Amino acid sequence: MKGELKEWQEKLLGVMKGRRNRQLLYYLELCTRCGLCKDACHIYRATGRVEFVPSHRAEILRRLYRRYFSPLGRLIPSLYEARELDERALEDLYEAAYTCTGCRRCMVYCPFGIDITWLLGVEKAMLVAAGKVPEELAMLTDAAIEKGNSIDLYRDLLQEQIKGLEPELRERTGMPGASIPIGRKGARVLYVALAGAHSILPAAIIFNLAGEDWTLSMFESSNYGYFLGDTEKAARVAERIVSEAKALGVEEVVITECGHAYRVMKHLDEVWSKQKFPFRVSSIFEPFARYLKEGRIKVDPDRIAERVTYHDPCQLGRNGGIFEEPRAIIRAIARDFREMNPNREKNWCCGGGGGLVAQPDLEEFRAVTGRLKAEQIAATGAKIVATPCENCRLQLDLLNQRYHLGIQVSAVTDLLVQAAVVEKGQKKAAALG
Amino acid sequence: MDAFSFWVAGVMVYVAVAVLVLGLAWRLYQWRRLAASPMRLGIFPKPRGGAKALRIVADTLVFPQAAEVNAPLWLAVFLFHLALLGVFVGHLRLLGRFPEFLEVKMSESAHLAGGTMGIVLVVTLFYFLIRRFKSPSKELSVPEDYLLLILLLGVVVMGDHLRLFAEIPFSAYRQYVASLLALRPEFGPEIAASPYKTALVVHVLLANLLFIYLPFSKLVHFIGAFLTNGIRRS
Repeated sequence: MKGELKEWQEKLLGVMKGRRNRQLLYYLELCTRCGLCKDACHIYRATGRVEFVPSHRAEILRRLYRRYFSPLGRLIPSLYEARELDERALEDLYEAAYTCTGCRRCMVYCPFGIDITWLLGVEKAMLVAAGKVPEELAMLTDAAIEKGNSIDLYRDLLQEQIKGLEPELRERTGMPGASIPIGRKGARVLYVALAGAHSILPAAIIFNLAGEDWTLSMFESSNYGYFLGDTEKAARVAERIVSEAKALGVEEVVITECGHAYRVMKHLDEVWSKQKFPFRVSSIFEPFARYLKEGRIKVDPDRIAERVTYHDPCQLGRNGGIFEEPRAIIRAIARDFREMNPNREKNWCCGGGGGLVAQPDLEEFRAVTGRLKAEQIAATGAKIVATPCENCRLQLDLLNQRYHLGIQVSAVTDLLVQAAVVEKGQKKAAALG
Repeated sequence: MDAFSFWVAGVMVYVAVAVLVLGLAWRLYQWRRLAASPMRLGIFPKPRGGAKALRIVADTLVFPQAAEVNAPLWLAVFLFHLALLGVFVGHLRLLGRFPEFLEVKMSESAHLAGGTMGIVLVVTLFYFLIRRFKSPSKELSVPEDYLLLILLLGVVVMGDHLRLFAEIPFSAYRQYVASLLALRPEFGPEIAASPYKTALVVHVLLANLLFIYLPFSKLVHFIGAFLTNGIRRS
């Protein structure tokens, strides 16, 4: 049978074989196809399409596995509807792997706790090997790696742009010495933002007000290699930040308001890159909640009068473990806070994760599959939806338009900055600025 | 014992039990010989210590989350497994006498409890089968799913037939199992003369087939569910 395989088939089956471990085998062999996962999936619930049932997305891999690897499947393929790895199978794998947001809500509800995304990860790895991947994700990944390779070309420009933000920073903090240091050796904290001032200035205000000993990373925290499912490239994207943190000798790497970036750095990259970080990885909310608790920043609890709700990004919440710190911040600054139902690990995915937001041709799909999220938001009666994930925010903005929700979607840090009390002529020295 | 009974309710039982035990051991070995994932796959929040163990057991035996998203299916699945456990314990009485107090109690309630559980099994199995003919379960299903349900239905229907209608004293079944354990399979006079003998042999035949297929099927989830649920909370 092996002899009949074409070279590309051999290669892809090799990828599958290389990914085989204990967990994968459990997930391949234990699913009873009960279909409970369909009821937990926002995409299936919104579309009613069979190919979007979580276990059906994984079933494609399962049927290939039966055909080529399991003894009984090779003996009696029809028992499992085992299938050949052909062009059609590749199409199906693509459709299954790259239209899932990777929220892992189905894993919460599966009676066996099967991690569908682990199986989709194998599907993606096969597609990467076949060169059949979403162009946008591949381009963004390569651009990030390229920036890491030639950072010297970017450094001056970057520093100039950041300097341009400092006048506003000084005005808003009332601190003449406030600054945004980049690549400062010996700083305690390395803050990794997203590309764009919106992710740098608000955090810089809080760091300065709190008197934190910090420096800004030259790299953006987002990692499209992760969405692409190319763990080798994803590790290279993450390595830019790891090397920088090591070179500066920081104690703590603080990831901005971003779901997948936090998960990659906190839970995934040490395994991908087979190393132990000499620093701690935190979400931005950990230091910020700490500053509030320690009184290092002062807030006006009445500044935000409208009702606020909080959307748990899947990668930060059930897949990252950050639930309470952002809530502590919002409770401190908003009088009227209303939880979504369900929330925390059971929260509905907004429909924007998994790199879907970066693919323009999926916009209509996202608008349709965000229906449950839109209903959930409407039920809270909130005017402000705070959420710490850029993908979620872009998706919620889309849902706001399409479902006429009349909400303001905001980063948590933006609300915190809004509520932060800046004493006139604040004398506090900026962090070693 | 006639020749057919001897081969099916005698020799084949040994083969089936051997395949079941060795097959499960082989399956476990196939899993455990592979390296565990270096990635911690669990979802948050992650309980620790005793709370974690408790959670894993609850996840596996009660799977309460499932009730939140699909209550009817959860109820059917839960009742089915409960009844399965019940008839399993009931069948253990064939191997020998329970402590006296239990023996008396079980003997008294055997007809009612066994009959009820048998009916629950048939009803839930039919429900599982029928829902697989409806979208989206239909597209999701493969022949293995139907085969197992039909096999289970066969075992249960024949079992119910014996439980509800056959007038064979329990001691006669016990005697038959004792003869199996003594490696001299034999039907006593009550079974040999009963018009329900064929029903019994068919019940045993289907159970044998189930035992033989079980280690190679998705039914190994009765072991695997503890392992995967452990991963979810780690």
